[in-house]
Amino acid sequence: MSRFTKIALIGLILFPFAFLLMLSVGRQWPYPAVFPEQWALSNWQLVLGGSEGLGNSVLLSVLLSLSVATLSTGLSFWVSRHIAYHPKREAWLSLAYFPYVFAPVILAACLQFFFIVAGLYGTFGGVLLAQLFITFPYGVIFFSSFWNERLRSMEELVKTLGGSTLQAYAKVLVPVAKGALMTCFFQLFLISWFEYGLTNLIGVGKVPTLTLRVFQYVNEANIFLAALASCLLILPPVALLWLNRAVVFRERIVP
Amino acid sequence: MQQRWAAYGGRSLFVLLSAVPIVAGVSYALLYSLGLTGVMAEGFTLVHWQEILGDAAFWRTLGFSLYVAAVSIGVALGLSLALVLRSPQAYTKGMLSFFIYLPLSIPAIVMAFFIFQLLGKGGWLSRVSHQLGLISALEQFPDWVNDNYGIGIIVAHVIMATPFFTIFFANLYQNERLGEYLHLAATLGANGRQRIFRVAVPVLLRRGLATVFLYFMFVMGSYEIPLLVGSQSVQMVSVRTIQRLQRYNLGDIPEAYAISVAYTVLVAVLLGGLLWYNRKQMGRA
Amino acid sequence: MTRLTFFSLLLALLLSACEDSRAPEAAQENLSQMSWPEIEAEAKGATLTHMMWTGDPLINDYMQNYVKPEVKERYGIELNIVSGQGATIVQTMMAELQAGKTESEVDMMWINGETFYQLRQIKGLHGPWTEQLPNAQYIDLDNPFIGVDFQQPVGGYECPWGNVQMAIIYDTLRTPHPPKDRKELLAYVKEHPGTFTIDTRFTGLTFLKALLIDIAGGQEALAGDFDEAKYEQYAPQLWAYLRELKPYMWKEGQSFPEGVAPMHQMFANGELHFTMSNNDCEVDNKVLQGVFPESARGYVWEPGTIQNSHYLGIAKHSGNKAAAMVVANFMISPEAQYRKMDPAIWGDGTVLSLDKLPDDWAAKFRNLPNRQYAPDREAIQDRALMELAPEYMIRLAEDFRKEIIEG
Repeated sequence: MSRFTKIALIGLILFPFAFLLMLSVGRQWPYPAVFPEQWALSNWQLVLGGSEGLGNSVLLSVLLSLSVATLSTGLSFWVSRHIAYHPKREAWLSLAYFPYVFAPVILAACLQFFFIVAGLYGTFGGVLLAQLFITFPYGVIFFSSFWNERLRSMEELVKTLGGSTLQAYAKVLVPVAKGALMTCFFQLFLISWFEYGLTNLIGVGKVPTLTLRVFQYVNEANIFLAALASCLLILPPVALLWLNRAVVFRERIVP
Repeated sequence: MQQRWAAYGGRSLFVLLSAVPIVAGVSYALLYSLGLTGVMAEGFTLVHWQEILGDAAFWRTLGFSLYVAAVSIGVALGLSLALVLRSPQAYTKGMLSFFIYLPLSIPAIVMAFFIFQLLGKGGWLSRVSHQLGLISALEQFPDWVNDNYGIGIIVAHVIMATPFFTIFFANLYQNERLGEYLHLAATLGANGRQRIFRVAVPVLLRRGLATVFLYFMFVMGSYEIPLLVGSQSVQMVSVRTIQRLQRYNLGDIPEAYAISVAYTVLVAVLLGGLLWYNRKQMGRA
Repeated sequence: MTRLTFFSLLLALLLSACEDSRAPEAAQENLSQMSWPEIEAEAKGATLTHMMWTGDPLINDYMQNYVKPEVKERYGIELNIVSGQGATIVQTMMAELQAGKTESEVDMMWINGETFYQLRQIKGLHGPWTEQLPNAQYIDLDNPFIGVDFQQPVGGYECPWGNVQMAIIYDTLRTPHPPKDRKELLAYVKEHPGTFTIDTRFTGLTFLKALLIDIAGGQEALAGDFDEAKYEQYAPQLWAYLRELKPYMWKEGQSFPEGVAPMHQMFANGELHFTMSNNDCEVDNKVLQGVFPESARGYVWEPGTIQNSHYLGIAKHSGNKAAAMVVANFMISPEAQYRKMDPAIWGDGTVLSLDKLPDDWAAKFRNLPNRQYAPDREAIQDRALMELAPEYMIRLAEDFRKEIIEG
């Protein structure tokens, strides 16, 4: 790929981010002006200054999404291995699609009823579990194509040499899967981070993640505020990506 | 012994976390649609089912959802395969391997807002066209959002799906050692076209089928994007369901559940067809 | 290791489940016999969950940075504001009732007529309770726009909180003479096709209701309970009018904006010549925020527009009813209402009667900084129409879809 194409592609990728950032500091944008006529930080001040505990929400969101992503990635990695080596692999795997054959909004409405009955309603644990329902099967599908005969024989080798299952994971499977694990983790982190419907219905607003706090602003008539809320939603995952790039992106990633 | 218990444990957990909630959910929805549960339920009735099955708009909704998903995924697959096959290494090494991940961090609701501000008649592209003298008034800008062909919805999904599939295929390319195969095919006398369409594309698509199908279902069930940039005359299924579920008439709620069950059946049939096809292909191979 | 994590997770879930099953306090049942100081004492130290729409930064600022700290300081009540509009509130209450939950997770909620009707349908509201509030004496309950909600007497089941009238917003530079009635509107859109639309939600339906009242011959024609015969008589005329309008509407009437937010955005960038708001004062907000041009104005056309109130309701199974009453009482205090009415803060009309208020407060209300861009409240009062019975809206929503969108 030529250097020019590369730069053009990167420019294309960065455009939405630049566009949203530009609008978030704008005021008065009559047609056909290409850029807003005035610039102001007033929206940022209004939202950051006016929303008590926004920082706590960020912490809560990070904690929730990290827990969901860690649990789901770990569990689905472990479970998908047992599915992949099962004789009826395809039939098992088809179960993983179940959560996605149901319209998400209705899923939330149905689950709300069951979570109330189970007494998990309005709690951090309840929201965590609800998010596992949508992230875990995704992880299983994600890892389903990872397992193959080559890995299996490597695992066998560890066993023959007297290693335990734990050692097989620690010394062989996890190092080989590192890239895939990180990619999956990031995907699941994002799903959890942006989750609105279930988190709101199951948490009854008592688990006020950042997404819950600013989500409604994205539907605001004030486009500058909507753009600002969009930035607030997007920037933390981008920062995570940036922090992790050394770990994730120097690796060869196996889907 | 311990191994076997671990296997049982793993699969039980799997069933518990993926199948159980959904079976419970679908049963609940089915009961609701038949008037057997809910605060305002009045006993068994098929009225709600008759209502939706006899409604032409409902069938149009299902058809439109399929159409949007098929076109979006089709275009995104075409673009991402073209990108990856042109330069297979570009997305796993170097600068692009970082930047290509960035679009994944844009959620659907933000994408909807972005598309609305970009492609609308008063949007950014319209403004640029005006400055360039291509149009003299915003009315002349084409209908790209809230249109009956779902252009805005499709563009939004393509922008979201293309980077995802690009990462996916670039990794698959490496993992499957596709480069070596293509080299082999070349030595056996395959020309460029044949190498792409007979070897590379089929291998990538077949290996990626599960993920492609999963994404297809995401697009079909999407809500925020069609809500903001779709047309009211032809709705996607989630938009219609929510309208029944949350708008004004509590008597419509069972219909929302009936639509969901019907939608579930449709997707399950598609999934069944896919698995059957997959097994047939595997059998052949 | 993973199994350990799983079991500890399960354990955590079980623990949080147990925490939830506290029995509601028996004292709650006797609230109607308690004196106000007793209620205040009962409320002290409670954590109150208030569910409301949180899509406007000014409103959020008013709630988070004024109401919340004030009730904390004065009454020791921790106010927890959670996000959820009408449909979410109703859905949550329905699910809780269905699941037999004895103590609701939501205590108080911000509702309007449509939600009030639905909550009464499912018997999800506590009441009557509003008469016990000391500040209720100032409420203008004789005003039918406040004491009657969608033709249903509020009967003490919801406390009026704010009062607004629908206004049409236009740009004086672009449209020096905005249409004054439906005939002029038709003429206008024929001249400027694609510049007018209504949204498919509450605001658009409120506009349709005003049209229906106008077609039926004015306020009195449709007053009272839903009348099928009258609906059958007048609705076809409404659809006939809209079909005439349709080819000249935005997107040729094939599509309608989802809510007022996109409508406001398209008004701001010039795609639309009109937008609407259920709050007559919103235009001031939007100009101050730099969203609308300074030449934007709100007006009420000659046949009138709907004026309605929004309210506070208490969940039937709330465990903090006393605290909800105390907070509601604060929210309808002259002080809180005065602040809320300031266009720079929120611009929401008061539900208090200036005649009933002590003189000094009445004077303060009269001297509130004037709205700059919104119509004068006193001047639009004689163009105010009352809300119709809720069934009208349900039918209009359904038939608008069948007759106009899909027709």
